[in-house]
Order: sequence, then structure tokens, then C-alpha cells
Amino acid sequence: MVTFRRKKVNVPMIAVTGGKGGTGKTTVAVNLAVGLNLEGLKVMLVDVDVDGPCCAALLGAELGVGEEVKTFRPLIDETKCVGCRRCVEVCREHALFSLQGQTPILFEELCSGCKACQLVCQYGAIKDGWKIIGTIYTTDANGIRLVVGELRPTEPRSPMVARATVLRAVSELQSGGYDVAIIDTAPGVHNAVAQPLWVADFALVVTEPTPLGAHDLRFILDLARELELPAEIVLNKADVPGGSKDELLSISSERGIGIAAEIPMDDELLRSYLSGEPLVKRTSCSPAAKALLSLVRRVAKRLKGVESDGTTA
Amino acid sequence: MKEIVVASGKGGTGKTTVASSLAVYLVRKGLKVFTADADVDAPDLLLALGGGKTVFSVNIRASEKATVDGDKCVSCGKCFEVCPFGAMVMPEGGRAMVMKLMCEGCGVCKLVCPTDAIEVGQADTGTISVEETKYGFGCATGKLKLGEHNSGHLVASIRNIARRKAQDEGSDVLIVDAAPGIGCPVIASITGADYVIAVTEPTPAAKRNLKRLSQIIKHFDIPAGVVINKGGYSGDFETTLRDWVLNELRFQFLGEIPVDYEVVRAQVQMKPVIDFNPDAKASKALAVIANEVGEILW
Repeated sequence: MVTFRRKKVNVPMIAVTGGKGGTGKTTVAVNLAVGLNLEGLKVMLVDVDVDGPCCAALLGAELGVGEEVKTFRPLIDETKCVGCRRCVEVCREHALFSLQGQTPILFEELCSGCKACQLVCQYGAIKDGWKIIGTIYTTDANGIRLVVGELRPTEPRSPMVARATVLRAVSELQSGGYDVAIIDTAPGVHNAVAQPLWVADFALVVTEPTPLGAHDLRFILDLARELELPAEIVLNKADVPGGSKDELLSISSERGIGIAAEIPMDDELLRSYLSGEPLVKRTSCSPAAKALLSLVRRVAKRLKGVESDGTTA
Repeated sequence: MKEIVVASGKGGTGKTTVASSLAVYLVRKGLKVFTADADVDAPDLLLALGGGKTVFSVNIRASEKATVDGDKCVSCGKCFEVCPFGAMVMPEGGRAMVMKLMCEGCGVCKLVCPTDAIEVGQADTGTISVEETKYGFGCATGKLKLGEHNSGHLVASIRNIARRKAQDEGSDVLIVDAAPGIGCPVIASITGADYVIAVTEPTPAAKRNLKRLSQIIKHFDIPAGVVINKGGYSGDFETTLRDWVLNELRFQFLGEIPVDYEVVRAQVQMKPVIDFNPDAKASKALAVIANEVGEILW
């Protein structure tokens, strides 16, 4: 299956994901991106948590205007429609409704933009209309090229915005000049997470030492395995008072998936969060900064190894 | 029966902590409670309640997926070109294949296939069960197959089963633990609810996501209140956030839960913190919040 992973770009892509929400995906992604940049690499950071993108806030970046993400929406030409209802029958989302002989009515919130209706219409009565479902922002901050996908509130189609964001990032990577792309995903194991994992070459799976963290870690490792995506675990909040690492360590050994870093609790992380300045830029001495910088060196070494083998992506 | 949804624009803010402790608080106040876990990607509510005994379970087929008949496929690549989700893969010289994880079942591939090699059919989604917890109330939750997650249809199925069971039992309240974010499963969780509890943290990122969530809540015109979790460390930001909730969002402010590692210890013991240690700072704050919710709804 890995041979199908054709993204037509020779830049290594590392996904930061995690199953459970709030484990520290964005903290790891942003600090990894900034750390690799401090190591001299040209880094693109892609925020594909389109429901709640946070990379810009942590990176201290201002998002400008952005480009709209549009999906198809059928525009029905009443003068051409004969009321055959083929479009109504083909729509699996039941977004079109009509009685025999009448022009269908569109329930826009149900339409997925798949174009099935247009494909079956034999009378050319369905024209291209558009619906804005999100925005993609691109900017430069802290030496990082940032690409952010954002779902428009009240729109339900996160996977489509995630896909558009991934495609936008890949197209910019194709133009060259980047050494690595770091992709921050949404929590969960759904399509909007699978979209970025599908183009990634490697995943860092961020978890925390609680039964809930362990439970959701299993889900995301199942997803990575399904996509044949190599992964390592990042154990965040590793020394949280009252936490328990036992279950995580047994998942790691059961599945033969290594632990790339253990990040301890650190008040400096909260300060960096509040100030919008990435931790590894603020300090290299605090406990979490040391752990993150060690992760950066591990990833940098791996990237250099990949380059010298000539087996990039 | 009142239906309360615990939601959050950002992940990991403490939805499950709030939902589990609220349920235990209300049941101890003498209300008949029912719960549902609508975070089907990370279904942690039952774990937070110490597990349960299955009283009812049903297999569901809530999603549709395409499949390709390799013998009929002529590798023309038309399905690959039209798939809006990038779910079709065309290996060099091989037959088309469906990445089920990414297929949303729209069926466009079937329409363009010249050799009728593609079928779209209902997929086996998994099981929805109702579990009896040791706190004397039920919890509806999903055990799902990989790639069958996060659909609004599925959340709707879980809510329907929970509502029916809760009504059969004569429950006063159904508490729904929603998925993080603002997408399809969240919309499916909050539509038609009586009240939304939006859980947030005192950080700029969480505030931004709360704003996005508030746009949905307002769109569906549902009364809502905000809980600030993991408070006590962010100084001025917390005061500003509270004012912003009251004056800009115009939501009720239900209370603030301070950072308290008893919450982590309670999770490890798989008990709601309010039961694990009623004297913990977080438990006291949760009791105030639960009481406030009770005042608002009854």
C-alpha cells in the first residue's frame, strides 16, 4: 500500500496526531517546526485541524485574508429541467427533493458537493454553483511557512476542507525550497485525520498517561496501521501527578512502536501558550524545552539519514 | 426531559470530566439521569464512569462505502478523477481501489464507471450499546469499526437510542458528551438540544475555538453557558475571558474549575472526580457549576 502513497513531492512530511483531544499535538507540532528551523531546515507547518486550528495562536502568527475553499453546489435551470427526478434519486445525502414533473428544491446544508446530480442530468439543467465551506491561510512567522485550513462555522464538511488544505500545502511543496513539512491534525480517527495521514511519511502520535489517553492511542495506532504509516509515540504530560504510564508502555511494547520523547509538565509551556511565543524559542533550559529539543534532534537526524540514503518519501 | 450537550471547540478541555461529574451530581440530587457519548472517535465517557454492564446492544449500518470489483475494472481512472474525497487509489497498471477510511459513500465513482465495476452499499458500522453504570444511570455509547467514525448519521443514531431509552425510563435529563470541534458530528450532537455547556480553557487558542463553537450554537439558537476549566494560572487572561463570555458572546457564565491533579487521579481510577474526592478543589467547583445548571434548567 505504501507504494500508492504518491504525493508527487520529494519533501518528507511528518504528521503530528493523537486520537484524544488536548494531548498536546499543536504544542509538539509548533515546537518541532520551530526547532527544526533553528537547526537550519526550511520548514512548512500545515494546520489541518480545520475545526479548531491553533498553530497560528501558538506561533504568534497573524492570519491575513486567506483563500476561500469552495465546493460544488447545484444550480438548477428551471427552463431545462423536465422534472425526471434522476438527480433526486441519485443523491445519497437526500439534499434534493421534488415531486414527479417538478423542478427539485435543494437543501443546501445536506449537499456534500459530490456532483452526482450533475453527472446524471441528461438535459444540462444542473449548472456549476459554488458554496464557501472554509478558508486556507498562508503566512510566514518565526521563520516558518504556515498553511492553515479553517472550516467555516456551521458548515459540516471538515474532510473536504482538510483535503483542500493538504492539496494546497503539497502544491506549494512541489515548487521546491522546503526541507520538511510538519502537519498538525485534528483529534479523532475520522476522515479529516485520514486525509493528512495519507500523504504523510511518518507520524508522531501524542498521548498522555491516563486510561483515556491510552484508550484513544489504540484507535489512532490502528488508523496508522491501516494506512501503513510508520509511527512513534510522544508521551506528553509524562510526569503529571496521579498519572499512570503503565498502560501506554504496554501498548508501546505490544505493538513495537517506540517512544520518541517524554515531555514533562512545565509551567513554561503555559507561559509560551499565553504569549504566543513557541517554547523552544523562549528557552532551551526548562524541562519541557529540553525534551522538545531532544525530539527535534531525533527528527533532524532521521531526516538527514533519509536524505543520505536518497530514499526521500 | 431536558437534553444537555457538553461541547468544546478545542479538544481536551474537559468535556468528559464535566459530563461525568454533572451526571453523578444530578443523580445524587434525586433526578433521573441518562447519558450518551457522542464523541465516537474517542468514546471516553463510559471509561470515566468506571465502565458498565451491557443491557442492550444493536448492530448498525449508518454509513455507505464504495467497493470495486477488480475483475470488471478496466483501470480507466475515471473514478479516481471524480472522487471528491481522494478515496480512490489507482496503483500504476493496477485496478482501482477504495480507501474506505476516506470514502463518504457519495457514489459519484459508480456513476462514471464505464464497466459497472463499482457498487455502493451500506457498511457495517459497528455496535451501539446501552450500558448500566454503577451510579445507577445508563450510558449509550458506540463500539465502532475503524473508518466508521465521526459521521453525523452515527451521532444521530446514538442520540436517538439514548433519547428513546431515557424516555422509556422516565428520565429527567439526558447528558450528551459531544465530539471536539465544530464539524458534522458536533452539529448532529447539538441540534434540538435544550442547553449547551461549552467547556473552554483560559488560553488564546481555546478562546478562538470557543468563538467558533458559539457561532454554531447561535446558528441553531440554543441557550448556552460556559465553563472555564484548568483555571487559576492565567491571571488577567481569565478575567478578560470571563468578561468576553458575558459581554461579547452573551452566554451564561457557569463557573471556573481550577487546575487540580485530583482530576487526573480520578481518571486513572476511572471515577468522576466528584465521586473520587468530593473535597477536591475541582469537585467543589464542579458542584457549583452543576447546581447552577440545575437552577437554569429546573
